[in-house]
Amino acid sequence: MSKEIILHIEGLRTEFQTERGVVQAVNDVSFDLHQGETLGIVGESGCGKSVTNFSILKLVQYPPGRITDGQVLYNEKNLLECSDEEIRTIRGKHIAMIFQDPLTSLNPVIKVWVQIAEALRLHQGMSKKEAKAKAIELLKLIGIPDAEQRADNYPHQFSGGMRQRVMIAMALSCNPDVLIADEPTTALDVTIQAQILEIIKNLSHGRKTSVIMITHDLGVVAEMCDAVCVMYAGRIVERASVDELFYDPKHPYSIGLLNSIPRINQDSDERLHSISGAPPDLIDLPHGCPFRPRCTQAMDICAQKSPPEFSIGGNELRTVACWLHEKEHSHG
Amino acid sequence: MGNPDILLDVKDLKVHFPIEKGILLKKNAGWIRAVDGVSFSVRKGESLGLVGESGCGKSTTAMAVAQLEAATAGKVFFEGRDLSLLSSEELRRARMNFQIVFQDPYSSLNPRMRAGDLIAEPLRIYAGKKIISISENDIQKKTASLMDRCGLSPSFADRYPHEFSGGQRQRIGIARALSLGPKLILADEPVSALDVSIQSQILNLLKDLQQELDLTFLFIAHDLAVVEYFCSRIAVMYLGQIVETADSQTLYQQPMHPYTRALLSAVPLPDPKSARTRKRIILKGDVPSPSAVRSGCPFMERCPDVMERCRVEAPVLSDLNEKHQVACFLYDSPSKQI
Repeated sequence: MSKEIILHIEGLRTEFQTERGVVQAVNDVSFDLHQGETLGIVGESGCGKSVTNFSILKLVQYPPGRITDGQVLYNEKNLLECSDEEIRTIRGKHIAMIFQDPLTSLNPVIKVWVQIAEALRLHQGMSKKEAKAKAIELLKLIGIPDAEQRADNYPHQFSGGMRQRVMIAMALSCNPDVLIADEPTTALDVTIQAQILEIIKNLSHGRKTSVIMITHDLGVVAEMCDAVCVMYAGRIVERASVDELFYDPKHPYSIGLLNSIPRINQDSDERLHSISGAPPDLIDLPHGCPFRPRCTQAMDICAQKSPPEFSIGGNELRTVACWLHEKEHSHG
Repeated sequence: MGNPDILLDVKDLKVHFPIEKGILLKKNAGWIRAVDGVSFSVRKGESLGLVGESGCGKSTTAMAVAQLEAATAGKVFFEGRDLSLLSSEELRRARMNFQIVFQDPYSSLNPRMRAGDLIAEPLRIYAGKKIISISENDIQKKTASLMDRCGLSPSFADRYPHEFSGGQRQRIGIARALSLGPKLILADEPVSALDVSIQSQILNLLKDLQQELDLTFLFIAHDLAVVEYFCSRIAVMYLGQIVETADSQTLYQQPMHPYTRALLSAVPLPDPKSARTRKRIILKGDVPSPSAVRSGCPFMERCPDVMERCRVEAPVLSDLNEKHQVACFLYDSPSKQI
C-alpha cells in the first residue's frame, strides 16, 4: 500500500477529569488514514473510539476533557496546535463529521436548507441564493423527495433516516477530504441503515473521500471498511485489513468479539461464545494489559507489562497488541 | 380453549391510541393504529420472536399481552383463559405466570432500591397480598439463589443499580422476572442496550434458563440475528400487522414476504466476502405513519413487487403450508407456492 497518507495520528492521549479521578479515555493511539480508504474504528461502549475522533477535530470539551499528548497531522499541519480560528477553517471544509444522533445534532429552530447552507456560505463565500440552490441540489443527491419544498422544513418534520441524510448533505457540502462518521446508523432501523450506508459508500467512492467509520457493529465494518482498528480500553489492540480481521483475527479480544455475535444461519443449539466479565474501569486500569482480566490466554507477563503493538510479518498495517504475538513480530 | 399445548393465544389484537388536539377542550383528531389486528399463538416451551422496525407495534403487542396496555379490540388467552375478563385480583394471580424483562436495565430498575430488594419485591408483594405464603427468611434464601442462578454474586444484594454494569443490571431484571416462577417470559428487546460481548452472555443465560426452568418466551427484538439465534419461530411485523410467520430456519432460508426479504438483506453481515458479493434489496422511503387512514397492503408504498390489487385490498395472513404463513397477494393462489 503506497497510498498517500491523508491524516496521521500519533500518540494521541485524551483524558477527562471527574470527581472519582482521571479517566484515560484515549491512551496512546496512533493510526494513518490513507487517501480514498474507509477505515473502521470498532469497539464497545467506552473504548474511546468516539473520543479519539472528537480529539482529531479538537472537539473535546475542556473542562473536563483534555488532549494531553500526541499529534494529528493533516497537510503537514498539527491540528492539535491550531488556534480555534485555524481549526474552524478546517472543520466542515476539509474534515467533516457525521454524528450519531441527527435529532440532537441539528438545530431544531432553523430550517433544513439554512443549516446545510451555513458551511457553504462560511467556507465557500456563497451568496444566500447560491447556497440555497446548492443545498437543494445536495438534498436531491441524497434522495430527499420534493427537495425544493422539504428544504423549507424544520428537522422535526423529517424522519430519522431523512435527518441523517441531512447530516450527510451538510458534511459533504464542501467536498471534504476526510469524512468522520460517528456511528452514523446506530439510531436507525435496518432498512434505513442500508439506505444510509449505501449513500455514504457511493458518495465517498464517487468523490474519493477518505472515511473514518466509527461503529460498534461488526456487520457495518464488514460492509463498509477497507481497514479496521479494534479499540479496547482506550487503545488500539489490533489493526488489519477487513479480510484479515474477519478471517484471521489475532487479538484474543477481537477473536472473542467476532465469536460472540450471533449470526444468521448459526446453529441455535450452539451456545454463543462470550467474553466473561466487563470492560475495565478507565479510572483504575489493571496493571499490564487492559484485557488481561477477561482474557482466557493470559500469561504472567500480561500482568506485568502492557504489550506494545507487534507488527505481524513486518507489515506496519497489521499489528496486534498482545504478548502472544511477540514471536511472530521478531521473526517478521 | 382446546389445545393444551398452547400457552398464549392472541386473537385479532388491536391497540389504537387516540391523537388529541386542543388544550382545554380535547378533541380526538384521529387514531394511531399501533397494533392493528394481530393474531398468533405461543406453544409451551417454544420461543416466538416478534421482529420489526421501530414503531411497528411489537412492544405495544407485548404490553397488551401483559395487560399493561388496554386492547382496543381482540382477545388474549393465557392457558385458555381470556385475560380481559379477569378481575384485578384474578389478574394479579394470573400475572405470576407471565413476567416481563424490559429493554433498558438503566431505567427499569428503581435506582433507590438495592439489588436484593429489587429481586425480592415481587415475592414480598405477593406474600403481602397473601397470594403466596413464604417467610421473609425463605424470601432471602430464594433471592440469593436467584442471584446466583443469574450470574450475580449474592454478596452484591446490598448494592444499588448504579453500582452495576449494564449486563449485570439486566441480570437483576431477569432474576426479578423469574422470582415468582413464571411460565412465560415476555422479553422486550432484552439485549439491545448491551454491547456485543455482554449481549452474548445474556443470551446464553436466557437460553440456559429456558431449558432448566422449561420457560416459554415471547421475544421481541429488532436484531434479526439475535432473534434467529434465540427463537424457534418468528413473526415479522410491519405497521401494526404480522406479515409473515415461520420457524426461524425457514424464515431465513426462504423468506416470502417482500418486506421480510428486504429486512434480511438489509442486515449488515459480519462477513466481508459475502457482504461484497450479495445482492441487497434497498427499500425506498420510510415506514408510513400509523395514524394515516389507509386502505390496501401496509407495505405497498415501499414494496418492489407492488401490484394494482395491493392498493385497494389488504392481504390477510394465510397458510403457505402448515408452518409458514404470509400476508401477501404474490402467494394468493395455493398453486403459486414456490
